[in-house]
Amino acid sequence: MKNSNSKIEIGHGSGGRLTRELIEKVFLKHIASEELRPLEDAAYVHLKTHHSAITTDSYVVRPLFFPGGNIGKLSVCGTVNDLVVSGALPRYLSIGFILEEGFSVESLEDILQSIREAVQHAGVHIVTGDTKVVEKDKCDGMYINTTGFGEVVRTLHSDNVSDGDVVLVTGTIGDHGTAIAIARNEFDIKAPVASDCAPLNNLLTPLFDIEGLKWMRDPTRGGVATVLAELSGSTGFGIEVFEDQVPVREDVRFISDMLGYDPLYLANEGKALIIVSKDSTDKILDILKKHSLGQNAAIIGHITSDFRRVKLRTRIGGERLLDLLEEDLLPRIC
Amino acid sequence: MHKTKNIIKLIHSLVSDNRKIRIMNVCGSHEHTIAFSGMRTLMPENLEIIPGPGCPVCVCPESDIINAINLSTRDDVILVTYGDMLRVPTQKGSIRSQGKNFRMITSPFEAINIAKSNPDKKLVFFSIGFETTTAPTAGILEMGVPDNLFILSSHKLTPTIMEVLVKDAEIGIDGFIAPGHVSAIVGSNAWNVFSEKYGIPTVVAGFEAENLLLGILEILQQLKNGKAETSNVYKGVVKPEGNVQAQKIMNKYFEVSDVNWRGIGCIPASGLELREQYAERNARKVFELEDIKEAKIPGCICGTIVLGKAYPSACKLFKKACTPKTPKGPCMVSMEGSCNIWYKTLPAD
Repeated sequence: MKNSNSKIEIGHGSGGRLTRELIEKVFLKHIASEELRPLEDAAYVHLKTHHSAITTDSYVVRPLFFPGGNIGKLSVCGTVNDLVVSGALPRYLSIGFILEEGFSVESLEDILQSIREAVQHAGVHIVTGDTKVVEKDKCDGMYINTTGFGEVVRTLHSDNVSDGDVVLVTGTIGDHGTAIAIARNEFDIKAPVASDCAPLNNLLTPLFDIEGLKWMRDPTRGGVATVLAELSGSTGFGIEVFEDQVPVREDVRFISDMLGYDPLYLANEGKALIIVSKDSTDKILDILKKHSLGQNAAIIGHITSDFRRVKLRTRIGGERLLDLLEEDLLPRIC
Repeated sequence: MHKTKNIIKLIHSLVSDNRKIRIMNVCGSHEHTIAFSGMRTLMPENLEIIPGPGCPVCVCPESDIINAINLSTRDDVILVTYGDMLRVPTQKGSIRSQGKNFRMITSPFEAINIAKSNPDKKLVFFSIGFETTTAPTAGILEMGVPDNLFILSSHKLTPTIMEVLVKDAEIGIDGFIAPGHVSAIVGSNAWNVFSEKYGIPTVVAGFEAENLLLGILEILQQLKNGKAETSNVYKGVVKPEGNVQAQKIMNKYFEVSDVNWRGIGCIPASGLELREQYAERNARKVFELEDIKEAKIPGCICGTIVLGKAYPSACKLFKKACTPKTPKGPCMVSMEGSCNIWYKTLPAD
């Protein structure tokens, strides 16, 4: 497997000698937690609380490598973030790979290296995994599934949300969607926009202690607008969002305008929407802004019982409806 | 924001309770800004801002799209066109659903590169749009294109369709917001006919909401003073004479012709076809394309919407059978189409 031209073969997914070789020489080189090492059929793990959270997600992003990350980093961050916005401390991950015959082992190692860095950064362990190989042209290089296990500190149901609560976002929106759009090379655009892909547990777990924290969600596919439309639908409250307070990078805004995207509907992979009570807003904003991932955190709107659905107050003071994402202009974003 | 508020206040002061004023925009990007900024929610009740024929994808004749689909099924052809065109529905499906060898391009220069890298194929560039996209197509012809590149021209002329609208009493236009990008090519002088001959205030505006508000204010002030002038609040980009060089090469390669507008019919002298001396580049002639009779889409009123005689929300199919995902008519497809824009920006209640 040392040859830099090595390719994945169908036999690497057979469960036999080649599989063993791939696991020992490639996977374990990068992912080697004490729980994983025995390579038994299941891993034994300890959770410190009786109340645990489980989440799963599959990653089919195209292209596999993009500015700011790759499918491996994404598969760790996405699942870690789903746990932390649910009020849980992420602890363990399972990871399943579907590899395409002919995929470069060198690229696989680059992705595994990113996975290692991301799990270290997030402080989680990969405890079990699986590898399957499909014939050439049956998948775009690789798909990954990760499942995450976390210890619940706070349950953050949308029932907690009430009239007068404040809507915060932890930073600029639309970076991931824009980075993927550029990376696809379908448009002749060069811009230094990188995906915001990052594990959010270090940023968000300090908020668990604050009583006014009501609800959180990472606005991935469908973006901020879709998440808020879903929240409004499930709670029955209206949400007013102020366009001029939503943080958007200048280049992201420019490229979105050019390509006809609305940053409010673009995917994020390292941001959270947070609903907090009015009197806890300053405290939470303060904590967020002290962290490198929360420097651009901002209040973008509020919850109201004056109307239903999500209303965007535009820069000129007009209003329009923000509904669920209708037309997926960027499929396979994560 | 303070300045914007003042402009809106002035707009309100210039619209009386007893007279309805109808201002039309003729540019999809203007309609986009107007709808996405929620501008209509800030306007006085008696002021209507009507989306007109500003979407080239919406008016592209069905016959040309079907011919494009058919060309793309030939093994010796690669068809290239702008992204939105791939999804426009016809009686034969869309280029994306029924075509075979087709690619999306964002600039005519890509067509040259694709033609060069596929010397054994005939590359057909399905070139659509108003003056804004005609200029770059003429530009590549002027630069010189490979022998295997052919143009299927479906270009349209903005001033001609605007004149058709003015003459239609049913529409009743009090003022025009002239298209910013088109004006950059044809120049603000191109609109003098509307103020001088028809007495309609016409203002060239840019694409920021504030700039459009200024344009609307200018029209209302002219109406108030009983004047009709062509003015320009997008001076940084649009010159009175326009882009003379672009006009020269457009005129060199294209000639005015009678063309069909989808859902509307044939409008004399409203389109551009390659001149006879460039017939060997003209896909319509080289491939002996024939006109296909347009099929009516049951329930669809895109033609009426394009002419400013109805709003998208008046269509029975709007938001029901016709959505951006399942477009029945052309105006639901493009980001510049009124139905597509209105679908995404309905008022909050």
